[in-house]
Amino acid sequence: MASLTLKDIKKVYPNTEPVKKPKKKKNNDEPVKEKANLQITEEGVVAVQQFSLDIADGEFIVLVGPSGCGKSTTLRMIAGLEEISGGELYIGDRLVNDVAPKDRDIAMVFQNYALYPHMTVYDNMAFALKLRHTPKAEIDKKVKEAAEILDITQYLGRKPKALSGGQRQRVAIGRAIVRNPQVLLMDEPLSNLDAKLRNQMRAEIIKLRHKINTTFIYVTHDQTEAMTLGDRIVIMKDGFIQQIGTPQEVFGHPYNLFVAGFIGTPQMNFFTGCKLVKENGKYAVDILGKRIVLSEKQQAALSAKGQQPCDITVGVRPVHIQADSQGFTGKVDVSEMMGSELHLHLNVQGLDVVAVIPTVGLDLEAHSTGKEVSFSFDPSLMHLFDAQTEKNLI
Amino acid sequence: MAKVKGNSPAPAAPANSVKPQKTPKKWLKHLWENYPFLVMVFPAVLVVFLFNYLPIYGVLIAFQDFMPGDPIFSEYTQWIGFGNFTRFFTDVQFWPLMKNTFLLCIIGFFIGFPLPIIVSLMLNAMKGKRMAKVLQTIFNGPHFISLVVLVGMLTLFFGRYGLVNNIVASLGGERVSYFLEASAFRPMYILSSNWQDFGWSAIIYIAALSSVDPGQHEAAILDGATRFQRVIHVDLPAIMPMVSVMLIMSIGGLMGVGYEKALLMQTDGNLAVSELIATYVYKQGLTGIPDQAYATAIGLFNSIINVILLIIANTTSKKFSENSLW
Ligand SMILES: Nc1ncnc2c1ncn2[C@@H]1O[C@H](COP(=O)(O)OP(=O)(O)OP(=O)(O)O)[C@@H](O)[C@H]1O
Ligand SMILES: [Mg+2]
Repeated sequence: MASLTLKDIKKVYPNTEPVKKPKKKKNNDEPVKEKANLQITEEGVVAVQQFSLDIADGEFIVLVGPSGCGKSTTLRMIAGLEEISGGELYIGDRLVNDVAPKDRDIAMVFQNYALYPHMTVYDNMAFALKLRHTPKAEIDKKVKEAAEILDITQYLGRKPKALSGGQRQRVAIGRAIVRNPQVLLMDEPLSNLDAKLRNQMRAEIIKLRHKINTTFIYVTHDQTEAMTLGDRIVIMKDGFIQQIGTPQEVFGHPYNLFVAGFIGTPQMNFFTGCKLVKENGKYAVDILGKRIVLSEKQQAALSAKGQQPCDITVGVRPVHIQADSQGFTGKVDVSEMMGSELHLHLNVQGLDVVAVIPTVGLDLEAHSTGKEVSFSFDPSLMHLFDAQTEKNLI
Repeated sequence: MAKVKGNSPAPAAPANSVKPQKTPKKWLKHLWENYPFLVMVFPAVLVVFLFNYLPIYGVLIAFQDFMPGDPIFSEYTQWIGFGNFTRFFTDVQFWPLMKNTFLLCIIGFFIGFPLPIIVSLMLNAMKGKRMAKVLQTIFNGPHFISLVVLVGMLTLFFGRYGLVNNIVASLGGERVSYFLEASAFRPMYILSSNWQDFGWSAIIYIAALSSVDPGQHEAAILDGATRFQRVIHVDLPAIMPMVSVMLIMSIGGLMGVGYEKALLMQTDGNLAVSELIATYVYKQGLTGIPDQAYATAIGLFNSIINVILLIIANTTSKKFSENSLW
């Protein structure tokens, strides 16, 4: 178990081919090109930059973000599989930038398991201990212990080929935990499993966390996994950290439009083209032709910042939308019955708005496709984003 | 290799992929359904039949008192059963031939079999991938040298007035005619063969190594394995199936050394060790007063030894690992 400190970590994948000269001449005035949302500079592809994070002893950190945002790269830099191009990485208070992976006391669970195919489950798990010349009796004890925790004792004599995906995943985790690593890294460990098994394994990981004492860093692109597993979530995009916070924080107070849209299903509704106005010393929002006065708390936060009126995008979570005959009206495009709740896709003045409404005591007929519905939302649950910077105003 | 290709006349392949058909009618239907595959495989089957199977009937002369020019079947044909074979077994040359062939092959095998494996593992473990590619290409070069040129090179290096002797002489040593020294024949033969083919033989292992999941190496790195330990615990097991197949085939071809190179290197000085079954067959069958029946009998005997070795190797491998040719 150890704390981790990442200071301004940066990763540049150097260009494998030298930059072509004629191209360079053409784009002389713009050395930094934007390609696929990633910064491609003269030195190469910048996969991760300005990554600073303090991870406490025994914390469960989840890195989450869309594909290609640099999650795996960050994890691999921590593991030592990838060189760190800039910044400092501490495990405990030891600077480990140039420490070999095996001396970092870190274990990693790979997405495709990466089990040794010719070894039995037992040998797979014992391999690291054997390399460390651990006494046989101790190896045996540790492997059996880990197998017990993961419920794979009956498979110890089998080869990975003879196991199901879920069982292989357990073995991969077992291999990582037998040597009590200070830090346990997991790179999308559940993404090869089907939905049901994934839910089951997610619960297993939560349990595992209480059984073993180690710091977890977990990479996923699935925000549900991130929300359920993480003590804190690090949301990344294009190599930059967007927000670090507890699941409640990132859900309740996203820093910017990206985080707001990324966390939560169904996705948050965004009303573009709204205006923040000041009327009689009070802040209000012009939205869909109505003026909504903000709550006391929002007022206080905005005036404390001295916020000027500006163009904004308003975000409202689907679950915060409620039926209200006084509110906005929209036509039901699609009505999805999910059992305990109804997902309504509404067309409101050309905007697609999703609402999640509990079905208890609901008149389903009145919410079927083509019907007009009225709704509103609590102003205090509105998220206000600057239209230019996309930052949360509060 | 050619043998293995010949041994799998592929019309069986499509038939094998479906459940065995019982009635002839069904079988015909099955053939009809797969006719594109049969058409594709036909030329290969034809070639194998014409050049590998048809000539087999020529071995009949091993059981005849045959003179060149005789028809194989005629009313005058004299069948002498195993006469040619017993003649070979009692030939004074029999044991020296067996010993020479066996020693040359077995020593060559013990050096030549592991060498490409070691080379491929080393090339694969190299950090500089570009360097590894360059080296691999260089190692492949000698394979394309013809035997005649290779033996020519050997004389240039080891002949009485060759490079080695010139150096030795300039240092005040005695000139040695390596080609006349019986003791020099096997080392020259085996080392030059290995030099010529180790890179080429490594290709198949390098190809197998390239399919190893890099994740396994990364897992091993995190498990604390050194580079050498990773070669032993990740790379080597990955090519093990390939190694056993190659092992079976090498053992099967163990006594099947060709006559060309030995003949090219043969001198009166090294005849005692350089006369192999293959060269003897050549001499008996094609030089002097040709005794083709006798030569055929010896060749057949040699082939039978090879088949027996192959079966033993395959059965053993099947028993102790999951790998076998059939
Ligand atoms: N070896 C490499 N050379 C050059 N660029 C690379 C290399 N590896 C990764 N990248 C780039 O770095 C960026 C980040 O990659 P990374 O694998 O960290 O993404 P990720 O967040 O793990 O994505 P995913 O969810 O798809 O696994 C990607 O845009 C990728 O193209
Ligand atoms: Mg990844």
